[in-house]
Amino acid sequence: MSTVALLTDAAQGAATPADFMAARQQMAFTLGFHIILASIGIGLPAITLLAEWRSLRTGDPVYAELARRWMKAAGVLFAVGAVSGTVLSFEMGTLWPGFMDKYGQVFGAAFALEGIAFFIEAIFMGIYLYGWDRLSPRAHFVTGIPVVIAGLLSASFVVTVNSWMNQPRGFRLVDGEVTDVDPLAAMFNPATPVQAVHLILASLMVCGFVVASVYAVALLRDRRAGRVDRYHRLGFAIPFSLGAACAPLQVLVGDWAARFVEGNQPIKFAAMEGIEHTEAGVPFRFAVFEIPNLLSLLTKYDAHATLRGLDAFPADQHPPAEVVKTSFEIMIAIGMALLALAAWWALAWWLRRRGTGRNGELSPRRDLPWKPWFLRLAALAGVGASIAMLAGWTTTEVGRQPWIVYGVMRTEEAVNPSPGLRFGLYVVLVVYTVLAIATISVLRRMRRRPPAGPGTPAPEPVTAGSPR
Amino acid sequence: MSHGDIALGLILLGLSAYLLFGGADFGAGLWHLISRRRSEKEIIEHAMGPLWEANHVWLIFVMVMTWTAFPPVFAEVMSTHWVPLSLAALGIVARGSTFVFAKAVPDRGWYAWTFGISSVLTPYCLGAVAATIATGGSSWVGLAGVYGGVLTTTLCAYLAAVYLIWDALRLGDQTHSLRFRGYALMSGVASGVLALPGAAALGVHSPLILLSAAAGLVSLALLVRRSYLAVRATAALAVVAVLWGAAGMAGFDLDSAVAHDAVLEMVFMALGAGALILVPSMIWLYVLFQRGPGEPSRTA
Repeated sequence: MSTVALLTDAAQGAATPADFMAARQQMAFTLGFHIILASIGIGLPAITLLAEWRSLRTGDPVYAELARRWMKAAGVLFAVGAVSGTVLSFEMGTLWPGFMDKYGQVFGAAFALEGIAFFIEAIFMGIYLYGWDRLSPRAHFVTGIPVVIAGLLSASFVVTVNSWMNQPRGFRLVDGEVTDVDPLAAMFNPATPVQAVHLILASLMVCGFVVASVYAVALLRDRRAGRVDRYHRLGFAIPFSLGAACAPLQVLVGDWAARFVEGNQPIKFAAMEGIEHTEAGVPFRFAVFEIPNLLSLLTKYDAHATLRGLDAFPADQHPPAEVVKTSFEIMIAIGMALLALAAWWALAWWLRRRGTGRNGELSPRRDLPWKPWFLRLAALAGVGASIAMLAGWTTTEVGRQPWIVYGVMRTEEAVNPSPGLRFGLYVVLVVYTVLAIATISVLRRMRRRPPAGPGTPAPEPVTAGSPR
Repeated sequence: MSHGDIALGLILLGLSAYLLFGGADFGAGLWHLISRRRSEKEIIEHAMGPLWEANHVWLIFVMVMTWTAFPPVFAEVMSTHWVPLSLAALGIVARGSTFVFAKAVPDRGWYAWTFGISSVLTPYCLGAVAATIATGGSSWVGLAGVYGGVLTTTLCAYLAAVYLIWDALRLGDQTHSLRFRGYALMSGVASGVLALPGAAALGVHSPLILLSAAAGLVSLALLVRRSYLAVRATAALAVVAVLWGAAGMAGFDLDSAVAHDAVLEMVFMALGAGALILVPSMIWLYVLFQRGPGEPSRTA
């Protein structure tokens, strides 16, 4: 089929299976890209402010330098995150018009709020970046606070839309028509609290471990060169501590999330845990291991409780169980590995505090774990946390299939029926691959540049006289 | 005034803001692409200002408002015109990221090229879709689409040139402000030559055409007389009048598509509350940006 024919032939009807899959893959891909960027965009201002606060308190130039560099990186990532978010707004309509047509008004208010929060974030980001040497240090620090708050708010608002897709509320269907719309009930559906907390913790972990992993690589280089670079050590310690603090909380919230899914989306739960048949005293199966009765105990606090399996539901409502289970296991495995790494860090911290109490001398055995093995693992933690984040999204999104709105609308009813969607996917893949490579290479170049003098504003303005 | 009318007014307001602010950004990208002088490019980069890619917020606002207030209209427009709209979205991605990259790593030529080309691609595609919708056409590669794309790109270039005159002056740069004045005169004449016969050919019978033409002529006169601040207002009026004229032509059945009152009331309340924070902070940002570095605020 020629391109011209594709462009002019707006045949109405059902999308071909290939186009339908392409639309889902394009959404998954662009959303995944945006989620990772947005996660760093939420967490980076927070650690920047932490470093800036320390520099205000101590006057230590190393903290100021860290804050300045993180601020610049946050500026770059914010811009890329803003445009990748704009693309998602387009895709809501170009890929899923059936969904927007019918339910756009139900969750629209949440997006309006998200837009407002994002706008506030953008403006204060601009003030923060441009105010670096135009405001007093204290005032500059204060302008950073709205950036963090607005970032957290916009993430929370946007996740209410996804939780609404899992737990649709706030409307009634009368003869297939949407009536009695209650936007607040839609936003504060039962899945919102658990999804919002789970997502925000995950994004702070992604940010903390990704930034720390960059410094872990630098520290490994330092070790080989026999140097001790305090800038690298602090640059590692701040974000890694943020990630490490969130890791145990996330395990608890994840447990809450799993139990919520069991109660509200039993099919998804059965797919996640690989429960084929409804049974009592379900064992915990993970990869090749099997621990008797543990899953029933974890989920219902009763070792002999009955859990519904996939066979309890009609076959045409089953999600692709293998994908859901595998992605769920990847997320759990990485989460536990990060928890172990966080525990190692915390233990070393505690021993160090005790060790310095005696005679002020710190024995090398009592220092923080600047050991090669710890640093190597920490260098992998950033990629790991990102993979866990994407695996978690895969679990919840694929686990909701075949529904786009759980139990109400099927995904194939929502897709754009125009032919040729798959060509859109190919173009998107190429553009985003280039974008990812360019983003990483720019950030690497920024890192390699020698530290600039104090007070270089983020985007350097031209020095062309003063305003009149 | 029904809720739907208010929503429509807000959507038009958002589109106007996107055309005036975002459009000027795109136009500046076009001059950046055309310009051969490094010093000109520097002024353009500086003028892009603190809200470098945040102007897309207006576009996001328009899309969110449309799918909230008129869901079927949004679904129909987005699914019918998914090809040019996807291209516009990719243009936004390429443009936004390469602008920042070129700032961070100045010695990479292809960043600047991509920035310039995508600055033309996006307004062209958006203009093509707008014209196709306004004339009731079916495809963006038809005559109306091509016309709308070229016209929109020209309007963006014109706006950018008009704004850049003042930015150059603000930097104390007489030569460049004169050069941008030349660009503004050229693109202004081109816009008029495109807009007026085009409107006649497409059968537009709106008094807004007269308004746009009058504002355009006044702008040219002001440019010749070097009233650089006043021309910013008249040029903006000339450009948005074209948009409003096109909006008046689009034949959507909005009454049957409008969302429930409960939804719109909540959105209006949220926007009102948001504006209370947004407007002062935006003013602050612009004030901060107009002030040079090294002059710490005394008022904060």
